[in-house]
Formats: sequence, structure tokens, C-alpha cells
Amino acid sequence: MVQRSRSVKREEEQLLVDRCRQGDRDSFAQLMKLHEKQIYNFTYRMLGSEEEAEDLTQDIFVAAFKGIRRFRGEAKFSTWLYRIALNQTRNRIKYLSRRNFFAKQSRRAQYREESPWENPEFLADSAPTPEQLTLTKRMAAQVQECLDQIPPQARQILLLRDVQGFSYEELSEMLSLNPGTVKSRLHRARSALQKCLGDKLE
Amino acid sequence: MECRKYESHFNAYLDGELSPKERETLQLHLRKCLSCYRKWNSLQKTRDILSRLPELSPPPHLSAVVIARLKEHRLRGLTGPSAYLPRWLPMGAMAALVLLISLGLWQVLLPSFSFRSLLSDQNNTSTLSSHSAQPTTKSTTTREGAQSPVPVMVLRVKDFSRADRELESMLRSISDPMSKPSRQLNSSSARLIDLKVPEQRFSRLLRELHKIGHLDQSQVEIHRMATPQKQKAISIRILVVSNGEDVEIHRIGE
Repeated sequence: MVQRSRSVKREEEQLLVDRCRQGDRDSFAQLMKLHEKQIYNFTYRMLGSEEEAEDLTQDIFVAAFKGIRRFRGEAKFSTWLYRIALNQTRNRIKYLSRRNFFAKQSRRAQYREESPWENPEFLADSAPTPEQLTLTKRMAAQVQECLDQIPPQARQILLLRDVQGFSYEELSEMLSLNPGTVKSRLHRARSALQKCLGDKLE
Repeated sequence: MECRKYESHFNAYLDGELSPKERETLQLHLRKCLSCYRKWNSLQKTRDILSRLPELSPPPHLSAVVIARLKEHRLRGLTGPSAYLPRWLPMGAMAALVLLISLGLWQVLLPSFSFRSLLSDQNNTSTLSSHSAQPTTKSTTTREGAQSPVPVMVLRVKDFSRADRELESMLRSISDPMSKPSRQLNSSSARLIDLKVPEQRFSRLLRELHKIGHLDQSQVEIHRMATPQKQKAISIRILVVSNGEDVEIHRIGE
């Protein structure tokens, strides 16, 4: 699971945010370092392409810096950042769909299994835990294929909750939905993924 | 019916949101009902598998690229609320700006269009000469308020006399037979040609001119953009000059 940077205290983060609001790009670089991994993994799982994920992650952070004056610290920075990420991702998906990107992507998916391991860190781990080993390269590819197949709205809520580990409260704030709607959408999304994975889970 | 009721609690159970009593009841049912247990197991595995997806490392240069982009935006004065403007807007705005500038230039420059040397048209319609001859004093003989200025294409050629011969035969075949091209040799290395070309042969003329030398047709394009209606014949002037010749045209008009 992608671990969010819980180690960094909110005050420290707020300090960096305050500096960014005065146009300090070095502080923004530090702030970015704290969140870029989660955002990059989120965009990768949403788009299924490393190149597109990189572009989108850049756009998200550029937009975040430009809009940082509007962040007043009422919500957590990560919640605010993800709101930007969700907006940008939605727009990018629309843009890519118009260019038939996802159809081409699914044709490429069959070759994904042949690609080298996406995660060098995972391989570098000298003593992987049994849980890590259970998710084979083949299985990871199949899960991504299923994620690509379910609607983007379902995909995003699954990733935010079951991969990134946000609470219902945070999801509710990010998505501007009441907690009941968040839960029902999440349940539908899990069912859609479960249906797609089907026998692969047996 | 009972199974459906338990199934509706699966997600809450997965998220740890059931009360101890509800949890106990559900667990008891799962031990007894194989069908429900399978469904529950499948859902649980779905959630677990997501949490074990391998994690990618972002490219190491990511933050540096973002910071570079922010610096670039700052230089271009784009920082601020523009972040939420559509991605196509800068390109669209740029295109509109280029169009406005082009039209503005056409409006402003055409009545007194100038390049960097001078050729003189003896028919008082334009003035041009090679730079080595008389400089700009003569060139100011323009006719203000000309009704339909004729656009000029500058054709730069390597070998002037050879290009001149090629042009002569090409123009004979391409121009309007009713109006023969008028050719004026203004110096040993410059010639001004007036001609009328039927619209349908205009593209061919451009292709042929490109073969002979380096053609600057920007003024013609601006003229065509400003007068989009189809004309039967297009009046143009071709200024042929040797490569390296420094020329200036002051005002071309009818």
C-alpha cells in the first residue's frame, strides 16, 4: 500500500505551505517531495501509463503552486492537493478519451506482462514479505487491466480508499460528497472490480 | 433473503464499521453459509490485492521539472489564477495575437512597405532599386491612398541571369494570356515583374518560384487572408534579386 507521509507533522507542512504562498519555490520542492510518490502512483493507476502519469503529476503540482494562495489550511494539505489532482485527472481522462488513448492502451496491455518489473524497489527488497510475494507480476498486470476497465469515477474512489488509505471523511471532503454517497460508490466500485477479477482471485 | 441482508453488511465489515454485535452475527452466518462465505472471501481478496499493488517510484527529475516549469511561467508572467484556465488557451491566445499583429502590420505597412534597399519603378507605381544604387531618397515617391496595393513576393536567386531566363519561360506559360507579364530590369541584379495569374494557377506559380529560388511570400499570404473572396485573377509583383543583395521596397501601389 502506498503509505501517505504521516511522519510529517501538519505544522511542518503548514510552514512549508506558508513559504510557498510567498512564492518560495524551494519550499514547494520540499512539499512536492512529500507528496509526489502518492500523486504519481494515483495518476499511474488512473491512466495506466507511466508517461501520462508523469505529465499529469507535473500539471497537478504546477496547478497546486499557482493556486496555493487559495489554500487556507482549513483542510489537510493532502486533501486539498488531491482535490486538484482529481480535477486535473478528470480533465486529462476526457482529453485522452477524445484521442482514443484508452483503446490503444488496452491493446498494449497484453504486452504489459512482458515488461520489466515496474517497481525496482520491490525487487531490491532482499527479504520480501509473504504478502508481497503473493502479488505476482502477472497478477499486478491483471489488476491494472481490471482497473482500466471500470469507470474512472469507480477507479478513483477505489484507489483513494483501498490503495491510498484515505478515510471516508477525507474522501467525502475531497469528492464533495456526503459520506453515505462515498460508501455506496465505493461498494459499487469494489463489486465492479471483484466481478472483473472473477476467477483470477480463486 | 437472509443472505442478501448479510451481503449488504460485507463492505461495512471490511471497513471495520460494524458494531461488535453485528460483527458477531455476521461471522456466525459466514461459518454456516458457504455461498456467503465465498462472496465475502472474494470481496476481501479484492480489497487486499489492491493494497498490495506494487508501488512505483516517480522519476527522480519530477520535482526539478516542475520547478523549472514554474520558473518559466514566472518569466512569462503566467503565475497566478491562470492555473485553472484550459490547456489550449495559451495556444489559442497566441494564434489570435499572431493574427492580430499580422493584420495590423498589413494595415500599417502596406501603404509604405519597406525592405532594406530600394528598387525604383519608373511607372510611378512603386520605387525600387538595388542598395548599391540610389538609397532611400527616391524610394519615398509613394502614392498614398492607393486603392488596391499589389502584394510583392521577393524571390532571392543564386544565379540572377539564369533565374531570369527560367522565370521568363515559366511566366509565359503560367500568367494570364490577356495580360503579359511586364518585366523591368532595374539593375544588373534586380528585376521587378508585374503579372496577373488566374487563381487556379496561383499554387502552381508558387511551386515553380520555390524551385527557382528562395521565395518570401508573406506579403501575398497576408493579402490573401485579408481579401478571402475568390478572385478570377490575382495581381502580384515579383521582385527578383540576387542572393545577398540588400533590397528595400518603399510603397508598392497601383
